[in-house]
Amino acid sequence: MLEIKNLHARIAEDGTEIIRGLNLTVKAGEVAAIMGPNGSGKSTLSYILSGREDYEVTEGEILYNGESILELDPSERAAKGIFLAFQYPVEIPGVATMQFLKVAMNEQRKARGEDELTTPEFMRRVKEAAAELKIEQSMLRRPLNVGFSGGEKKRAEILQMSLLEPKLCILDETDSGLDIDALKIVADGVNALRSPDRAIVVITHYQRLLDYIVPDAVHVLYKGQVIKSGDKTLAHDLEANGYADIIGDAA
Amino acid sequence: MPAVQETIDQVRQIDVDQYKYGFETNIEMEKAPKGLSEDIIRFISDKKNEPEWMLEWRLDAYRRWLTMEEPGWARVDYPKIDFNDLYYYAAPKNHVGPQSIDDVDPELLRTYEKLGIPLREQEILAGVQTSKIAVDAVFDSVSVVTTFKEELKKAGVIFMSISEAIREYPDLVKKYLGTVVPTTDNYYATLNSAVFTDGSFVYVPKGVRCPMELSTYFRINEKGTGQFERTLIIAEDSAYVSYLEGCTAPQRDENQLHAAVVELIALDDAEIKYSTVQNWYPGDKEGKGGVYNFVTKRGDCRGRNSKISWTQVETGSAITWKYPSCILRGDGSQGEFYSIAVSNGHQQIDSGTKMIHLGKNTSSRIISKGISAGFSSNTYRGQVSAHRKAENARNFTQCDSLLIGDKCGAHTVPYIEAKNATAHFEHEATTSKISEDQLFYCLQRGIPEEAAIALIVNGFVKEVIQELPMEFAVEAQKLIGISLEGSVG
Amino acid sequence: MNMQTGMKLSVAEMALCEAYDHAVGELPGDAAVLTARDGLISEFKAGGLPTRRIEDWHYTDLKALLRTLPDRAPVASAARVEPLVEGSTVLSVENGLVAGDFSLPGVEVRALAETLADGSAAAGLSARNRDDLIGKINGAFVRGGFALDVPAGAALEKPIELQTVQNGGQTHARFPVAFGAGSTATVIERHLALGEGAAFVTTLSDVTLDDNADVTWIILQAQGVTDTHFGQVRIRLGAGSKLRLYVVNAGGKLVRQEVHVEVAGEEADFILRGINLLGGDTHNDLTFTAAHNVPHTTSSEIIRNVVFDRAHGVFQGQICVAQDAQKTDAKMSCNTLLLSDDADFSAKPELEIFADDVQCGHGATVIDIDHTQLFYLMARGIPENRARAMLVNAFVAEIVEELEDEPLVEALEAVIDRWLEKHA
Repeated sequence: MLEIKNLHARIAEDGTEIIRGLNLTVKAGEVAAIMGPNGSGKSTLSYILSGREDYEVTEGEILYNGESILELDPSERAAKGIFLAFQYPVEIPGVATMQFLKVAMNEQRKARGEDELTTPEFMRRVKEAAAELKIEQSMLRRPLNVGFSGGEKKRAEILQMSLLEPKLCILDETDSGLDIDALKIVADGVNALRSPDRAIVVITHYQRLLDYIVPDAVHVLYKGQVIKSGDKTLAHDLEANGYADIIGDAA
Repeated sequence: MPAVQETIDQVRQIDVDQYKYGFETNIEMEKAPKGLSEDIIRFISDKKNEPEWMLEWRLDAYRRWLTMEEPGWARVDYPKIDFNDLYYYAAPKNHVGPQSIDDVDPELLRTYEKLGIPLREQEILAGVQTSKIAVDAVFDSVSVVTTFKEELKKAGVIFMSISEAIREYPDLVKKYLGTVVPTTDNYYATLNSAVFTDGSFVYVPKGVRCPMELSTYFRINEKGTGQFERTLIIAEDSAYVSYLEGCTAPQRDENQLHAAVVELIALDDAEIKYSTVQNWYPGDKEGKGGVYNFVTKRGDCRGRNSKISWTQVETGSAITWKYPSCILRGDGSQGEFYSIAVSNGHQQIDSGTKMIHLGKNTSSRIISKGISAGFSSNTYRGQVSAHRKAENARNFTQCDSLLIGDKCGAHTVPYIEAKNATAHFEHEATTSKISEDQLFYCLQRGIPEEAAIALIVNGFVKEVIQELPMEFAVEAQKLIGISLEGSVG
Repeated sequence: MNMQTGMKLSVAEMALCEAYDHAVGELPGDAAVLTARDGLISEFKAGGLPTRRIEDWHYTDLKALLRTLPDRAPVASAARVEPLVEGSTVLSVENGLVAGDFSLPGVEVRALAETLADGSAAAGLSARNRDDLIGKINGAFVRGGFALDVPAGAALEKPIELQTVQNGGQTHARFPVAFGAGSTATVIERHLALGEGAAFVTTLSDVTLDDNADVTWIILQAQGVTDTHFGQVRIRLGAGSKLRLYVVNAGGKLVRQEVHVEVAGEEADFILRGINLLGGDTHNDLTFTAAHNVPHTTSSEIIRNVVFDRAHGVFQGQICVAQDAQKTDAKMSCNTLLLSDDADFSAKPELEIFADDVQCGHGATVIDIDHTQLFYLMARGIPENRARAMLVNAFVAEIVEELEDEPLVEALEAVIDRWLEKHA
């Protein structure tokens, strides 16, 4: 589903290279965890996949279902099914959460040539999904992410993910700022979305989240490259021994 | 909180005459006759041995000035100045231009010593100061000595009085003088162009980082004399210079006039840092006497990625009218303005800056801290503008005012003008008194009230103090303390 | 013509003087009113139209901007329109005149012409200061309008809509409105053009709130693209009173709306929210002054500007705190979304503080659309232009939502939506 080949990318503004020859393949149905120390390029990778213009790809290719996505803008990528759950969901005062959800769902449907949802159908879907994630209706009436607690923001991201039904989900440090109960709710939400035609990329610093969202593959990112790949036991090794050994081996 | 009230009451009782530099130097002076005319200008030009073009330049300015009106828009109030009741030239007798230190009248050396400005290079080297500072000492209308000239020359840096520069480097002066502040600019600048007597000239050639701090120390001594300083600083491509300016005057009952023009020019990748500690005599507690300080300071970031930074600590003068500005012409150029303006007694300050964004990707930063006490009035007036072609212009402005007592005023008058959709301006201003929570916290930790207030005020101005060269930072902090003596202890 | 100075009058200045000479015979008013009118027009002649040298008009140089005036007479008849909020009582000034019957249960309403005729309006016909052009012009020419007296304790359930509607020509209307102690009301002051020919309109509302009155006042200016509109509100707030004033500008060619507030009673609270939707060749100026004259008062101002095309926007705001006005809490902010390189916006937010125990501040920003927010919306599949429109709308809608009066919020949001659809 996702194939990244020899990717090089830098910060557009100052030219700092962050991704330096990264290779990664994620198959449909797979949950892939990307781990790595601070500054290894994890969040940058999530932004590049979703098309943030602050980063420039200088070399290499990103193929999504065999097709290059480098020329697509963020909304076109989203319509094709790429979803990023932000590490820091953005507050947008003045835009009601419900209004935002409706526009996003319908614009994506439009882009795929599907009919827009009727208001009752939209309401039904939101209510169901919100209930699953224990999101109160009052939260949905507030402006998008404004005044939400850390946990509420993360749950709202997962709510959007389940409503938009993406094919490639990228979770950027979704566990940060969550207490254990909130973590479980979020993990349940993610696990409910696991399916043979969907891939999930979990970016995380700690192994903790992977106890709840068990990965099929674990990749270690360091200095903009994948330096080691393995199965879920790799995550446990990292938890126990830290990154130093692997980094030493790679060097 | 009662504690604060008590302090305020103390302010009212305590004499604000804390000026430490009010002594007078007794030295025989040579003066031009009182008043202003073409003859006086010829007299000044002649005294300075100036070339003909300089005299013409002055006379043009003078004729222009006669047609101009004194501006009235600033929030300062003073009786009409009789420009014919002033001396426009006063110099120590037998003074023949800046000379070697051994020829300088010992009385003058003593004056500068008393002011804490050592002029003997050996003394500086042997002294307590940690780093070298070259000084141009201007006494009333003339520069009496410039130190470290030779050493600077070896590095390629020209540092001398502007009178000398006009004679020795006429082409350089001609090329740049009046290109940032044209002779037609404003009432006081035009007057200055006609009658300026001395000031400093700095030229830093391509690629040179000036090996020491440069400074000019201005002293008005003579009674009834106007001081019209003119300073011109040029930093060629990739050059760097840091320049400091200090000023004091004796305590006199009548007002003295100081109308300066400072022009800075920064070419490609050059940086000029200009710091001022202004401590002209502010007048007595009744508001009698003090210096009228009407100053035009402007920097032109002419080159790409050039940078001009103004830092000022304004504690003196009865009236301050001063807006050090940056014209951000070169793409990627940067302007900065850091200011502390302290007013006490009957002082009136109307000061601020202009950041004119003309080039692409230019940025500017303004941090202004005003402290008003006593019966004073303290106004921040600033302009930030982005022109049509100034893509990605960025400005951040923070203006904070602190009021100590309820007989003073603090005013903020920003002009924000954006003509480009990619401009990004942020302006914030606050006015408040010393936070009772902060004060209580300090008191609770056992800090006496006056010390606590001083501590808080120092915290309030810290962001700006940090921008000063180290030697000046200590001086400035002391000065702020002294200026507010009686109001914050 | 009586030339008091040697100043040469511009075409527009001459036109105004001539208009007065023609109109004065038919304007309502007793001797006192006539004296006041004559006084104001001669003040106008002495000063002329303000230029940028007059600090109050620094960014709106009327001498340069106001070149000509339309004829005095309208080009077609004008009739009232449906109110902004359903169920409101409409008091309308049509082509400058009060037409038909009017009444408002529980409120004393008089046609302004009546108060001019009996001289009771004479005292209000004055300029605030030497540079008060709107006060001078409106006072000299005023004809239509209503004087309202809301009795103490009255709680008006339905909004009152004060409407000026015209089809070209010159209109000068005035609304002196007094709210008695403890009364509550919502007033919508709405100015619109029916779109045939250029209009020159001045309006002046004189609003006083007695102790503890609680009032919401909306000014909606939706004049035509060739119209000149000069509006002024003078406000005096009594102890414990609360005024929420919304100014929405969504039309006009040359517009200046002034708001002058005197916070005169302790514990009074003033709120100003401004929404300036600027497009085409509009020059729009919102000028605001607040005088906090007594202790323990609060004011808060938030201005949001959206600037498209070749529009010029101006905000001048001045908060003055008198020496006695300790414990004043005043906050002002002005935020601008500048969306075109041919547009510009100038802001001058001033603080003038003479009391030390205060919390005063102002902020001003000029920004482009937030790229992080734009990216977030696009990452959810919303195309760029749609995402931009949402963010522009949110930028101003945020202010409207504060009103907590659903029909009013919906009506204003509809105005904003319609405007943005046309311009964004």
